[in-house]
Amino acid sequence: MNRLLVSALALALGAIPAAAQSLDDLNIQIHGYATQGFLYTTQNNIFSTNSSNGSPAWSEAVLNLTAVPTPKLRVGVQARYFLLGNYGNTISLDWAQGDYKFNEKIGFRFGKVKTPEGLFNEVQDIDSAYIWSILPQGIYPVATRTSILTHLGGVVYGNIKLPAKAGSIDYRAWDGERIIASNDPLLASFTTKGFGFPNGANGNIFGGTLRWKTPVQGLMLGASETGNNQGGQATLATFTGTTTTQTFQIPFYFGQYEHKRITVDYEYMRLPPHYTFVFTGGPTIKVPLDFRNWYGMGTYKVSDKLVVGTYFSSSINRLAALDSSRYQKDWALSARYDVNSFVYLKGEQHFLDGIGGIADAYSNTNNTIVQPQTKLTILKVGVSF
Amino acid sequence: MKKLLYAILLVASASIFVVQAKAQVIVIANPSVKVSEVSKSDLVDVFTGASTSLKGSRVTPVLLMESVHHELFLRTYIAKSDGPFRNGWKSLVLSGQASMPKSLPNDAAVVEFVRNNQGAVGYIGDSTPHDGVIVLTIK
Repeated sequence: MNRLLVSALALALGAIPAAAQSLDDLNIQIHGYATQGFLYTTQNNIFSTNSSNGSPAWSEAVLNLTAVPTPKLRVGVQARYFLLGNYGNTISLDWAQGDYKFNEKIGFRFGKVKTPEGLFNEVQDIDSAYIWSILPQGIYPVATRTSILTHLGGVVYGNIKLPAKAGSIDYRAWDGERIIASNDPLLASFTTKGFGFPNGANGNIFGGTLRWKTPVQGLMLGASETGNNQGGQATLATFTGTTTTQTFQIPFYFGQYEHKRITVDYEYMRLPPHYTFVFTGGPTIKVPLDFRNWYGMGTYKVSDKLVVGTYFSSSINRLAALDSSRYQKDWALSARYDVNSFVYLKGEQHFLDGIGGIADAYSNTNNTIVQPQTKLTILKVGVSF
Repeated sequence: MKKLLYAILLVASASIFVVQAKAQVIVIANPSVKVSEVSKSDLVDVFTGASTSLKGSRVTPVLLMESVHHELFLRTYIAKSDGPFRNGWKSLVLSGQASMPKSLPNDAAVVEFVRNNQGAVGYIGDSTPHDGVIVLTIK
């Protein structure tokens, strides 16, 4: 797969000198953004930071380079620096792709591409795209963006206008490989219990998304279904072995309504991986998970520069013990102020109940005893260009 | 004399107000774009990056930098101010789904770009000379 990726990128990049006469003809563009955040929690430390004492250990910067060597072909690459507590602090390849668009009805992307599942997955890492400092963590955990944002492979996409003024359908279909690094927070709920993943975990990912722009002005309804399996080497104490999951389905159902100054969104997602650890000369351990996660959110545009909003999100592992580790619920109040077209400020207050969740937000911290409830305050400044 | 000056000032102010009230933007396209009439929703799709064609003709939008005509176009068709409008484009660019359209400094530059580039579409004030381009009717 990596050889295929390198070949595809070489082909795409090789088209540039063949097709272009000048840099202007290539329409080369450079864009990016940078954010600096501050976290404070009334108790517990969150996202591997020292947030109970106030923590500025949350920085992100992205640089994006694109070129259009022919009218139907766009190639691009995006690099990202990310730091959140003990996570990241490296520069990684966000995505690198060629995008060939035949017409409105069909195009395809190949390379390391964003996985177009759910309502926000394609833009969850673009802080300037929305009001929220963090999206609902049950579906878009901030610490695991590196893993769930992209896959190696391809995406077919297009828009089809429906007859009889029934609106139009945006469709996406994808296939490829998803790679999870050994130190990725997605594995934190295992690594904090002594499991190790020397080479991370990877597996096949495939799926599709439909977004119906309905005849009702401002209303979009959508659904995604992702098929995924994961596996890799595993360790536990002195034992070595492997971990696998059978292919599991991740459905998303979502909707969005925009009317003048108001936007309302809703999304539901189910994540049911069943891990099996097999250790040579040791135990076989099964860890079934079944997360049922949803949120509802609303925003109101007070003025050209100020937007306020709120959301409630719920994440429940239906197979966990009946205590606060089974769930996490979150009320969030948020505001965003655009100083100008380049600089913006965000402030957000969370009321968290429960210590469950996909990426186990309280793992890898200095918590001695994790309290079931905490308040989280976030301040953030961002620059985009 | 003072009364005459006040009267002239009053008439001049009223004239400015009337001129601004009547100012409109028109949407222009390169003659290669084989359409004369488009729906408002199709126009919005092109200028927000949701679409790259008008009735089968591949098009490339071009924007004005912040100006009276730019604000008027956004208010009339896009229903967004400049900040959220450009943030929408940045989101597409930063997720690899589009390239940022060119932003030109004035109407004359837009006319020249649209005239000389196949598939180009833009917007200008209706009183700006626009030889060599076609004017699209927005339904």
